[in-house]
This record gives sequence, structure tokens and C-alpha cells, in this order.
Amino acid sequence: MKLIKTKEENLEENYLELHYNKIDDETNAVLDRLRDTLRYIEGMCDEKKVTIALTDIFYIETVDRKTYAYTKDACVEIKEALRDILEEYSGIGFARISKSTIVNIYKIKKLQGDLNMRVIIFLKNDEKLIMNRSYKNEFYERLNKLQGRKTK
Amino acid sequence: MKLINKKNFVSIVCIFFTLITCGKLLSEKLCHFTDKYYTDNIFTILAFSVLITAVLSVHYYLQRFPFLLVFLGQYVTTVGIVFLAIWIHGQFSEHAPTAYWDMFYSITIPFFCGAIIYYICFFYQIKKANKIIQNLDE
Repeated sequence: MKLIKTKEENLEENYLELHYNKIDDETNAVLDRLRDTLRYIEGMCDEKKVTIALTDIFYIETVDRKTYAYTKDACVEIKEALRDILEEYSGIGFARISKSTIVNIYKIKKLQGDLNMRVIIFLKNDEKLIMNRSYKNEFYERLNKLQGRKTK
Repeated sequence: MKLINKKNFVSIVCIFFTLITCGKLLSEKLCHFTDKYYTDNIFTILAFSVLITAVLSVHYYLQRFPFLLVFLGQYVTTVGIVFLAIWIHGQFSEHAPTAYWDMFYSITIPFFCGAIIYYICFFYQIKKANKIIQNLDE
């Protein structure tokens, strides 16, 4: 299977196109990963039903038993519980950072530690999250897994 | 992850005891020093090993609190318990005039060495994670 990348100026949205004669195991494996990545989730935003791509979510938080997904410019209330999201979409890049928050690793700009051994997560939308020390190892494991997948 | 639990508590105490005793014997051999209170000190090392394992085992439950507060709390508790033990021991038999200072150093040095190693590992982990994050973005 070949991968051809073409840079197109002024393209509004990136897209992938698959040319095939027969879908073999290798292609199927790639498609399986893509299916996970290109999943969407439904929720409510300003009393309107909206659909958001999982890859657009920066982080998901539970407040007063309600779950909210935060994208670059929207906050969407979703029905799924944090545990279910982690179980179902862990491969996409979501990792738990506290009892009530999971973050999309691909939306992290950088990590920074403070004297109290807390890890401050700087997101690409300039928001800051605090990682609880008890979830540190789980987070680094997930990060290493993603790196392993990328280098494969 | 809970590193010290009921199942491995005794084995960790044994590891601490062995390491401290070996260190003591090695330093005595190097300095040609003969310990007059050998038996007493062996039991002190055992008590110290139990105490330090107990202190480290509660660290897991304190992870939601600020590290500096937990570290200082554990340090002060350990010093307090050891000083109390010396005081009780002093009621029944005589101890060295420098007993409090000796125990203070014996606790402070490993505690602060441990904290420094922990800090170095913590910031190294962050540095490594930042590299991975940068790599994922490329």
C-alpha cells in the first residue's frame, strides 16, 4: 500500500481518498484506525443538537454529574460518561488526568511541572489543565503507546 | 498505582533492613569501627525500616494533596515518632548525648536525597513527555 501526500494551497479541509482494487488486510488495518479517528459524537450546545468530531475535542470534563466536551470554540454537553469514552476511544488519544477530566493528547501544546509536583497541561487553545499526581503514570503510559503507534 | 500494599509490606521492610544493615556494616568495615551497641542498633534499624515503609505506603493516599505539604508532613511525622521513641527509650536506659542529633541526620539525609531524586525524575518525565508530544505533532 502506498501513501501519497499532496500539498494543496487554499484547501479548506484536509481529506483522504482511497484508491483500491481489492481491500486487503493491510488496507483494512489502516481503515480500522481511520474509523476510530474519524468518529463523531452527539451532544447539546445552546439547546441545539450538534455533532462534533472526536478529534476536535480538547478535553472532556464532568461537572455535577453532567459531561461536557470542549472544542476550540464550543462547549457541548454529551451523554457518555468519562469511563465509557475512555474505554471506547482510548486509542484515539484520550487520557485521564483527574477524577473528572480526560484530555485529548493530540491537543496538548506542552507540559510543565511546578514545585508541588503538579503537572500543568497547556492546550493548543491556550487553556490550562492540572493533572492529578495519581493519574500521572496512566497518562505517560498512554502517551508512550501513542508514540509507539506512530513509530510503527 | 499502589506500590506498597499489605502483600509486599513485609518484603519491602526486609529490603530496607538488608540495605541499611549492609550499608552500616560496610561503613564500619571501611572505618575500622566496632559497634558497642550492635544488638540495639540492629533493632533500631528494623524499627526504622518498618517506620519508613509505613510512611511511604501512605503516600499513595495523599496524592491529591500538594506534594510539598505531604513531604513536610511525612518528614515531621517521622522525626516526631523517632524522637518520641528515643525519649521513651531514655526513660528506661541511658542513651548517647548525641542520640537526637544522630537520628535527626539519619532521617533528614535519606528523606531529602529521596525528595531530590523524586524531583529530578518528575522533571525528566515531563521533558520526555514534551518530546513525545512534539513528535506526535510533526
